[in-house]
Amino acid sequence: MTFFHYIHRDTVLHRMDGRFKLLCMLLLSLSASFASQLQHYLVLLFVVTLALLIAKLPFKALLKDLKFFGILILIVFVVNAFNIPGDPIPNFPITSISLQGVITGLRFAARLTIIIIVCAVLTGTTPLMTLRNVIEWYLRPLPFVPEVRIATMINLTFMLIPLIFDNFAEMMKAQKARCVELRKNPIKRINFIVFPLLNQTLRRVDEIAYAMEARCYSEVRTRAVFKSNKIDWLLLAICLSVFLFVIL
Amino acid sequence: MSQNQSSNLTDMPTNTTRSSLNLRMTVYVSLFTALIIIGGYISVPLPFGPVPIVLADLFVMVTGLFLGFKWGLTSVALYLSLGALGLPVFASGTSGLAVLFGPTGGYLFGYLLLVASVGFIASKGKQSIIRNLIALIIGNMLLYAIGVPWLKTVMNFGWAGALAAGLTPFLPGTVIKITVAVALSRVLLPRFKQTLLSASVK
Amino acid sequence: MALLETQDLTHIFPDGTVAIQNINLKFNEGEFVVIAGANGSGKTVFARHLNGLLKPTKGKVLIDGEPITKNIVETRKKVGLVFQDPDSQIVGQTVAEDVAFGPENLNLPVDQVEAVVKESLEAVGLSRLSTRSPHTLSGGEKRRLAIAGILAMRPKIIILDEPFTGLDYPGVVQVLKQIIQLHKTGHTILLITHELEKILAHADRLVILHKGKLVEDGKPEDVIYRSENYGVRMPLRDGEKVAALTWLK
Repeated sequence: MTFFHYIHRDTVLHRMDGRFKLLCMLLLSLSASFASQLQHYLVLLFVVTLALLIAKLPFKALLKDLKFFGILILIVFVVNAFNIPGDPIPNFPITSISLQGVITGLRFAARLTIIIIVCAVLTGTTPLMTLRNVIEWYLRPLPFVPEVRIATMINLTFMLIPLIFDNFAEMMKAQKARCVELRKNPIKRINFIVFPLLNQTLRRVDEIAYAMEARCYSEVRTRAVFKSNKIDWLLLAICLSVFLFVIL
Repeated sequence: MSQNQSSNLTDMPTNTTRSSLNLRMTVYVSLFTALIIIGGYISVPLPFGPVPIVLADLFVMVTGLFLGFKWGLTSVALYLSLGALGLPVFASGTSGLAVLFGPTGGYLFGYLLLVASVGFIASKGKQSIIRNLIALIIGNMLLYAIGVPWLKTVMNFGWAGALAAGLTPFLPGTVIKITVAVALSRVLLPRFKQTLLSASVK
Repeated sequence: MALLETQDLTHIFPDGTVAIQNINLKFNEGEFVVIAGANGSGKTVFARHLNGLLKPTKGKVLIDGEPITKNIVETRKKVGLVFQDPDSQIVGQTVAEDVAFGPENLNLPVDQVEAVVKESLEAVGLSRLSTRSPHTLSGGEKRRLAIAGILAMRPKIIILDEPFTGLDYPGVVQVLKQIIQLHKTGHTILLITHELEKILAHADRLVILHKGKLVEDGKPEDVIYRSENYGVRMPLRDGEKVAALTWLK
């Protein structure tokens, strides 16, 4: 199971400075939320599709995500189309659908689609470690925010997930071998999963804390170095102008 | 002999560095965040009703019971932030601002209230099953108090529809999860607190 | 003066269990010591005192004649501890990242971190795997990665807690070669194990702990015949010498 769908390629977007990339993606997501007119959506869709093509991300890998979102988008569209009062669509057999409803539905659907593509591009072109360092960098100037601790937490979480998952898979096999399916009581069933899972992982995590201490864990640590160039600024300028175009 | 030991115990150095305890809590927060994420992938079918139980909210409850208000809240906030950044951590591997502000977003933000209220109530005063139970019930009421109206607004549902889609099917599961969370806390929590204590005086 | 020394080292858990009791040991520079004992003999607890992870109930640990608590960071740099379960020790998303964890904790400049990571990975022969996820490594590779993570701190003493647990035959051979290499490059080695047959031929000294107490300390050929009194299998067959106790050909 891949938890982080980073796909290694050598493209402009992969090489882009992570700080700029995150900012660009946030600007585009915000633009999508503020978009109100048709031309806004068209420009945004054009930009994000272009980004998707430039990043050379395989559509196959994105499809799994899109399947869930496809249903979501469809529901949003249908619910809106039926529920918003307005004029019936001329020459259309189902009169309970209003023109205004369809337009609102389309708007919601377009908004979701744009945000989904933005997220896919960001995660597809940025390794987790870079993302972690970027977050640390952005949190640094904020007072009272322990940015290194947060970055460490992100790191540890993603290190623990495969470990716990393996643990879980082993346990399930062992329980199947003892016919756990015959148990009908759902409380017992869940308890049989959660109890050993929690018990074992708590012990393990204790060891991890010791091991980190043994390697001198400190929140005053080497910082990642970022390098930006003209292309980063150019891409940021493009995203910023899209944002301004939408809100003005 | 036993007297000897206890005097040795009181002589134990208690100058644990804060950083050592902070590191331990950092690691625990990560663990519970990881468990909440994994909980979104593990589903247990129920013998009745069409909705399978997802364990993410069970782990949010457990997080509140184990880590308390501050660190529990940190753990869930971390979970939501990871999802917002586009990491596939929400139920069935979804992610992004779209989910966070989508129809089920209210439940995700509701996790913050759930963990905060459970952590706050459960860690006040002495541990007891009754207190934990009350904490869990109040927490879950708050969860649905945000989740259902949010669902109604985003999907443009009526109240009847929102309740039918966002509350009724989950109630049996919630009752089961509360029971499990209480049972877990009874067995594992005392030892967990003991470990924390010995880590902080070691 | 001994490099590392324990005086009256005693640890009692909060519930009253005595883990180790009055252990006095000296380790000299360049020694290769095997510390053996049955499960529950206190081996791991003992090891965790040597770099200050656990604080003694009584007694102390000295490094170069000074208490280790005087400068705990310096101690942990000098005394590297390789944990029994490499999965608990590996924190990076990639092999290189994991090795960088230690030097980054020391707040070294980025270029120095890179240099020390490269050097450590070369020392354990994992350079070509530097971008791999640790999760995908074999048992022997994981163990070597854990060792690289410790080497990146440039330790003088390396403590290995049960380094052969869960490894297959090639894994044991890989790790064994690595440990011998570390000893050759001047590291003091303290190896905790109950599997004497895999390693003892290479050791200068054998220490046995039993129920938290130090019971034997001496040359392997003198001590080994008594090991079964303390729940450690005596691996020599009739007429065999200690030199036969290795899994290296």
